[in-house]
Amino acid sequence: MIRIIAPGMRATVQDRGRPAGARLGVPPSGPADPTAFAAALALCGCDPDQAAIEVIGLPFAFRCSDRRIVAATGRDVRIRTRAANVGWTSVLARPGEEVVVDGSPRTRFAYVAISGGIDLPLVQGSRATYLPAALGPFPRALAAGDELPLGSSTTGGAGMEVAGRTIAPPGYDGPVRAIAGPHEDRFDRDSVDRFFASAYVVLAESDRMGVRLDGPAVPPLAGELLTCGIVAGAIQVPRGGAPIVLLADHQTTGGYPIIGTVVTRDVGRVAQAAPGEQLRFSRVTLGASGRSP
Amino acid sequence: MTVRAFGDSAFLIELEQRIDPAIVETARALADLWETRGLGEAIPAYASVVLRFEPSHVSTADALTAARELALERPQLGDRAAGRVIEIPTTYDGPDLEETAALSGMTAAELVAAHAGREYQAFFLGFMPGLAYCGLLHPGIVAPRRASPRARVPAGSVAVANGQTIVYPFASPGGWRLIGRTDLPLFDPSADPPARIRPADRVRFVPH
Repeated sequence: MIRIIAPGMRATVQDRGRPAGARLGVPPSGPADPTAFAAALALCGCDPDQAAIEVIGLPFAFRCSDRRIVAATGRDVRIRTRAANVGWTSVLARPGEEVVVDGSPRTRFAYVAISGGIDLPLVQGSRATYLPAALGPFPRALAAGDELPLGSSTTGGAGMEVAGRTIAPPGYDGPVRAIAGPHEDRFDRDSVDRFFASAYVVLAESDRMGVRLDGPAVPPLAGELLTCGIVAGAIQVPRGGAPIVLLADHQTTGGYPIIGTVVTRDVGRVAQAAPGEQLRFSRVTLGASGRSP
Repeated sequence: MTVRAFGDSAFLIELEQRIDPAIVETARALADLWETRGLGEAIPAYASVVLRFEPSHVSTADALTAARELALERPQLGDRAAGRVIEIPTTYDGPDLEETAALSGMTAAELVAAHAGREYQAFFLGFMPGLAYCGLLHPGIVAPRRASPRARVPAGSVAVANGQTIVYPFASPGGWRLIGRTDLPLFDPSADPPARIRPADRVRFVPH
C-alpha cells in the first residue's frame, strides 16, 4: 500500500475515466492532462487502464510499504527520493522511504503512478474520482494518513528492471492544435479566423471542468443551440464571446456553440497552462493531428 | 443528416434542429446503433449524436465511413409504452411558481395541475449526473429561462423551461424556473445504474 504524508492541495485517484457514463449525465473525469497521466503509468509498467493519482497544488509526499517503481509526470514535475531527483523517469522507492513530488509555479496537474497501480474496485466501470458527485471508489480528496492498496507489483509487468526508464515530456509551450467546429457555421468567418489568429490569456477561474480564456471575443451568431453532447477539448463560446476549453470534468452536454476542438494529444497542454499565460490555437484538419491515419 | 468532425476522436451527426420527441428518439436509436458497432460510446441529445471512437483502435477513415453509414440509417424507434414509469413525489412550492403561472395566464393551482397532469418522456440525460431532460410540457405553460441564472439551485428542485421539465439531482447554478421540489434521490453512486431516471423512461410528477 502507499501512505500519504502530504496530500498537496487536492489529490484524487484517477484512471482513464468513465466515458460510458455520458449517457447518464456523468462527466468522464479521469486526468486533466491525459498525456502526462499515460506516461506516468507507462513508466511504472502499468497498463493504460490502471489507476494513479492526480495532484493539484504540490508538493505531494508518500511512502510505499514495499519496494515499488514510482514515477511523477506533469509540467515541470520532479520526483525526489534519496537516490534521485528527476521528472518523467521511473524511480525505485524503497520500503518506507519518503517520496516527494514537486513542481514549479507553472505546474497545475501532477501525476504520480506506482507499479502495480492503485488497486481499488471499479465504480460505474472506472476508478476515476468525480468529486462534485462523490463518485469513484475513493470519492474524496486524499488526506495525510490515507492509505491506498496497490496491485501486485509484477501483475502490471513492472519488474524492477523498469527503474531508470524515461519518457520525454511533451513541449508545454507553443500553439495548441485544434480542429475547427463542429459548430463552425454558428460563427461568422471573421470570428473563426480571429480565434485561430489570436492569443488568449488563461484566467484563474479555470479548473478540472474547463480553462477559461480572455482575449478577442468571438461571439456566436445566434446565442445558444439545442443542447448537444460534448467531448473533452471542445472550445465552447458563450454569448459574450469568451472561449472555454473543456477538460475531464466537463458536463456531458451543453448549449454553447463549439468553435473548435483541441486534438486529443494537446488537451493536456491546455490543462497545464497557468493563469496569466497565453495560449494560441493552430488550425489543423482531421488526420493532420499526429494520429492515425 | 450531416456528419462533422468533433475533434480527432469523435464525429457529430446533426438532425433537424428542433425539440420533437420523434427526433429525440431517432438520436437515441442512432446512438444505440453506434454503440453496437463497438467503435466507442455515443452521446445522444435533442437532435444530435456525438459518436466517439478510439483512434488507437480504429483509423479515422474507417470511423468516418462508419459514421456516414450511420447517418443514412432510418432506425426503428422503440415502443414508447415500454418505458419504465417513474413517479416523482413533488411539493409544488418553488420560488418561481407564482411568476410562471402568471406568465402562463394560470393560477398556481392550474399550473400545478397542468404540470402534474401529464406523463413525460425522459429524452436524454446530461448537464450533470442523473439529470433527465423530460418533455413535453403542456403547451399552455409559458416558461422562458430566467434572464439571470441563479448561482445556486438546491438539489431536488423541480424546474421547467422552454417546454421541458427537469429535476436537479445536485445543487448547481441554473436558469430554469423552479416550481417545486422532491426528496427522491436521483443519483446514487452505489446503485447500478446510478441514475433514477433513465432515457426513455416515462416520468410522472405526483403532488405531495
